[in-house]
Amino acid sequence: MPPHALPRVSVGQHSAAGRNGPNQDFHGAMLPAGHLLAAKGIALALVDGIGSSRVSQVASAAAVRGFLDDYYATSEAWSTRRSAERVLGALNAWLHAQNQRGDARFDKDRGYVCTFSALILKGRRLHLLHVGDARIYRVHAQALEQLTQDHRVRVSDEEAYLGRALGIGAHVEIDHHDWEAEPGELYLLATDGAYTHLDAATVHETVAGCGGDLDAAARMLVAQAHDRDSEDDATVQLLRVDALPEPGADALHRQRETLALPPPLAAGMRFEGFTVLRELFVGPRSHVHLARDDATGRHVVLKTPSVDLQDDAAHLDRFVLEEWAARRIDGPHVVKAATAERPRRHLFVALDFVEGQTLAQWMRDHPRPPLEAVRAIVEQAARGLQALHRREMLHRDLRPENLMIDAAGTVTLIDLGSVHVAGLAERLDAPQAPAVEGTLQYAAPELLLGEGASERSDLFALAAIAYQMLTGQLPYGLDAARVRTPADLRRLHCVPLRHHRPELPAWVDAVLYKALQPDAQRRQEAVSEFVHDLRAPGPQFLQRRPVPLAERDPVRFWQGIALLLALAVVVLVALRVLGR
Amino acid sequence: MAYLAPAEFVTKMVDAGESKLLMSTRDTLIRAYMAGAILALAAAFAVTVTVNTGNALVGAMLFPVGFIMLYLLGFDLLTGVFTLAPLAVFDRRPGATWRGVLRNWGLVFAGNFAGALTVAVFMAIIFTFGFSEAPNAIGVKLGHIGEGRTVGYSAHGAAGMLTLFIRAVMCNWMVSTGVVAAMMSTSVSGKAIGMWMPVMIFFYMGFEHSIVNMFLFPTGLMLGGNFTLMDYFIWNELPTVLGNLVGGLTFVGMTLYATHYKTAPKRAAPAASARTEAKSSTRRALA
Repeated sequence: MPPHALPRVSVGQHSAAGRNGPNQDFHGAMLPAGHLLAAKGIALALVDGIGSSRVSQVASAAAVRGFLDDYYATSEAWSTRRSAERVLGALNAWLHAQNQRGDARFDKDRGYVCTFSALILKGRRLHLLHVGDARIYRVHAQALEQLTQDHRVRVSDEEAYLGRALGIGAHVEIDHHDWEAEPGELYLLATDGAYTHLDAATVHETVAGCGGDLDAAARMLVAQAHDRDSEDDATVQLLRVDALPEPGADALHRQRETLALPPPLAAGMRFEGFTVLRELFVGPRSHVHLARDDATGRHVVLKTPSVDLQDDAAHLDRFVLEEWAARRIDGPHVVKAATAERPRRHLFVALDFVEGQTLAQWMRDHPRPPLEAVRAIVEQAARGLQALHRREMLHRDLRPENLMIDAAGTVTLIDLGSVHVAGLAERLDAPQAPAVEGTLQYAAPELLLGEGASERSDLFALAAIAYQMLTGQLPYGLDAARVRTPADLRRLHCVPLRHHRPELPAWVDAVLYKALQPDAQRRQEAVSEFVHDLRAPGPQFLQRRPVPLAERDPVRFWQGIALLLALAVVVLVALRVLGR
Repeated sequence: MAYLAPAEFVTKMVDAGESKLLMSTRDTLIRAYMAGAILALAAAFAVTVTVNTGNALVGAMLFPVGFIMLYLLGFDLLTGVFTLAPLAVFDRRPGATWRGVLRNWGLVFAGNFAGALTVAVFMAIIFTFGFSEAPNAIGVKLGHIGEGRTVGYSAHGAAGMLTLFIRAVMCNWMVSTGVVAAMMSTSVSGKAIGMWMPVMIFFYMGFEHSIVNMFLFPTGLMLGGNFTLMDYFIWNELPTVLGNLVGGLTFVGMTLYATHYKTAPKRAAPAASARTEAKSSTRRALA
């Protein structure tokens, strides 16, 4: 790998026990190589036990070891924040359970409790995770900038206790922030036994005095803290950012750059160990062919970039991404990557062939489907979406053409070409999910306003499809696709389901109405909630509000008005005639 | 210079048609206004060149610059949306309705007209020094172009109307071919060449283009042409709009859509019907 494809750092660390017994601080750093470095980054963790507890050093060691082991075992698709918070949540639960079993249940001061502070460098970004009273500083030329807050509650000048730490409660709130790292930056992690006795000048002199040897610097800093009457355990970790990956230097990018653009495929052609059988679709974004794998005889779908977008690097990256994502999702409702792990010379995506019809076709064949049929399809599509969401991926282009229904009625999400992977976006320097990728008709309105995509945007698309299956119409017509300003958003008006399907229960309308809210915050929180509501509506959907006749049955309403007018005319004519 | 396969650019045409229907009112009006204004300016330029050189071919050869400019800037002419917007309805794109198509046409017509009219007023001011003196040579020429193409048609009655209509059909056949030709290539130079050929043909042949006329006739009226506003609408603009609609839709939009998008089964292929069936069910599945 070229030197600047991955971040490079120098680390120095040292810990020494204070005057009272065993060292309850614990620290660790993980500098993986190659693949893991790109996928998960470099992590430093620092933990301080509590002096009053005799088992705190066990907690400290477990926290650091557990974090460093488990963090690197989390899904590559997850963002750093999610990975770290999940791991810390589990650690906290374990420590808390230990406390519940022993004496510490009644006296937390004697339990498995510790602070936790970590720095993770992934791609070009540094992530900070923190709970408790250890500190992380950025070392400037003149000063130390404290990046963490002490979770310490001060009772009096002499007395203070930890406000938040691992192991205290069943749940713990972890501080997280992240920022763009700069080459040459120096970070200092220290426990209270060290930082209370160190100042910026000391740190500078020490680091400068040790040349490039950060381990020696850490050792000297700890020694100085103890020289200055620190009685507590003291630990210092130093992290210097030496080099950062150049933007676009990620392995995935480079993988794409080494691949040639494929020639136009045609039936009968041999291509990369496949025999092309026939064209499925040729569009301005991609060409899709059905092919047979010569080695296994299985049918696969080959997707190649269109001529139109062959110069569009971002579009080509999606081809690498699509297969990457398909390999990592395992579920019956999401298309799988065709397993051929052969070296490739061309850029293309090989996916399993899903035989069947698209939902778009299904909707034409079933213009007024029963609710249960719609529910069956929506639930399966939702399971597909959930499989993505669990991996912190967003589909972002859910539309009837991207849902295949096979002969057995199984629904499969195909086309992951617009998928957004949080963990990967961090690596590729694009943490925000960019707005519209998919079809405007099913895009949630917030995307058209340029806000980031979320799981609720996928929910909107799913609900819009459910609405379209039931009624044959889009919930907002084309108005939702024309949203450009927040004012447009407020003007959006969804045609109630009862206008098209008065025989359906009113609560179905209410559930869909909630999922189709233009404001993402007002929708159901997750796809699973929507699906549950669709089968077992909560009381809020069952409340019957009186609907005026004009809205409930406009025809009857206007017929009534016309009848009244006709009567009035008869009366007036009669008066006129009689009045003579 | 990349050349796209027909199946690829025809899908692109349908997508473009769909995007016209999805465009907000504001954007549609702004883009139509600018398109009308730029095309009007190009028409004024072409007439100026023709008068100064005395050779209509030079004017016709240079007129496409306006068309190329407005296309590359992403603006919409009525002639283009006549061809593209209905394709979304033919292809049953979600939410695409004839009502939406008519809305788009109405908005683009209004925008084009306002843009062309603005340039018409500006050019009239330029040619007459702010209406303070008689129009110069170019102004006179512009003033009288309109006469033959309104009163001239009306003198022939129904035959004149037919001629006018056919000229309008021919016009948008060419202009829409230009729009499609621009989609065939991925490079600016390729797009420009693709548009230049058919647009030159229509201008030199004197075919009736509804938006060019939105400039020529109002300027003509302002510069003392001997025809009335009513002559302009009845004996030019309205038949031209209808002719443009028919020309663009029949000769370009529907033909390409029918032959390259909804491709009929190849005659030689065995079991062709079974194939197309499978194809239609998986069509667009993985786009």
